[in-house]
Amino acid sequence: MKKLVLYLLYPLLIRNVLRLILGVHYNNREVLQSGTQCIIVANHNSHLDTVALLAAMPLPRTPRTKPVAAGDYFGKTGLKRRLTEFFVNALLIARSRPKEGESFPDPIAQMIEALDQGYSLILFPEGTRGEAGKMQKLKKGIGLVLQERPGIPFVPVYLQGMGRLLPKGESVLVPFDNFVRFGQPVYCPNMNADEIVARVEQEILALSGEQ
Amino acid sequence: MEILRLGAFIEQDEILKIIALIFGILIFATALFWGWGFLRPEANLSELKMRTRSWWVMAIIFVTATLVNPLISYAAIAFLSFVALRELLSISKNVRPADRRILFWCYLAVPVQYYLAYKGHYSLFLIFIPIFMHLWLPFMLVIRGVTEDVSRSMSVLPSQLMLTVFGISHLAYLLSLPDIPGFSLGGRGLLLFVVFITQMNDVFQFTWGKLFGRHKILPTVSPNKTWEGFIGGIFTSTLMGYYLRFLTPFTETEALVVSFCVACAGFIGDVVISAIKRDIGKKDTGDVIPGHGGFLDRIDSLAMTSPVFFHIAYNLYYLNNS
Repeated sequence: MKKLVLYLLYPLLIRNVLRLILGVHYNNREVLQSGTQCIIVANHNSHLDTVALLAAMPLPRTPRTKPVAAGDYFGKTGLKRRLTEFFVNALLIARSRPKEGESFPDPIAQMIEALDQGYSLILFPEGTRGEAGKMQKLKKGIGLVLQERPGIPFVPVYLQGMGRLLPKGESVLVPFDNFVRFGQPVYCPNMNADEIVARVEQEILALSGEQ
Repeated sequence: MEILRLGAFIEQDEILKIIALIFGILIFATALFWGWGFLRPEANLSELKMRTRSWWVMAIIFVTATLVNPLISYAAIAFLSFVALRELLSISKNVRPADRRILFWCYLAVPVQYYLAYKGHYSLFLIFIPIFMHLWLPFMLVIRGVTEDVSRSMSVLPSQLMLTVFGISHLAYLLSLPDIPGFSLGGRGLLLFVVFITQMNDVFQFTWGKLFGRHKILPTVSPNKTWEGFIGGIFTSTLMGYYLRFLTPFTETEALVVSFCVACAGFIGDVVISAIKRDIGKKDTGDVIPGHGGFLDRIDSLAMTSPVFFHIAYNLYYLNNS
């Protein structure tokens, strides 16, 4: 049921609405066409980012992709959690690792588990929605995950202008031309977590064209 | 309502003639630019090639829409307006962040204006954007309560609506014109006529300018436009309008005058959009989203030729018939 909804919703309905009405222009989306497992890493300005990236997935990949979302935000109430898990297929994680004496699941372990089940991930390493045009310092999680699973590539994405359609704290959607730029998949063998994070940041910034 | 009008339509062989002409010219142009680019790879033909490609798309949509169901034509033209408006609002430097919600009203004007065109409410169609939206948008802006630069938004937003929605919607209204005695093609003939003359006028002006251009006409706005291109283009377009008058109810003199006016209006639309884009390009280019200009470039001349053509035709032939 959930699979069917995701199939119908994202590649068919949402992708076309985004393109025709809201003005989303996908650049170089062909890198996803093979449908191989990957981690999509992007800058984050708007709730629409997740939707636009999920809608960019080729049809067979759609239900096998999990956007990673903040559990403290989207899991606040039981209803919100169930809706996000059903309609966005989200993987809700804590935004920090458990310290001694705390007993919530380790987000790194959760992401690795999802990868081992064959899911692709959509990850915003900034950790939260930032101001348009300004990348915040990336969190270390993406490095820790890729360090453990060097066989999976990351695909850098730069989202430009998405924040104008639905900025942080706004509720009215307004169409604006904006761009979702995909880069080539990058493998990170024999790199430690910090090096991987630096590489991710460098790849995303390279796509922004403002280096 | 008939869904399939193919049978009745094919009998009107004037339309078939022009459809054959359109595709003939498209095939010729595609072959010409391909061959030209092949023989002289150093010639920069990307602009021409891009134009031909978008004409193929436009021609196919246009022909299928007119052949199958006129409702598709209204929707297609409305969509063209919508995308052009979105593009203009997106690249505009004069839209403030505080105007976001007001833009919603601008977008909403598109379906309303095209509904009025579809229904053929002549006076409402004429006043909706020039009067109603010109009053409504400032009021909405005032309600938002941000007064800094508000007068700029008050004039920019309605004028962008005029350019992308009001002008183009006249193309749709052509299809709603009533039948007049002695002229069987109706609005479709007129629509084909004005779109075809406008697009060919762009090509003629470009070609004449390329071949004989010496004296720049508006160097600060469009450095590539010349007096030679302008005059040669207008002359050729007027002549072509004369020979295509079988699509219209016009007499020989009327066809010449109308084509001349359409050709001039096409030039005006072209340079007005060029000036706007130049303005945007000059100021803070860093913020402007790159890779733009696709749709606006396609509709720039149509935004001016459609109302000019519509109102001449309306006043000549439809004033006492509706």
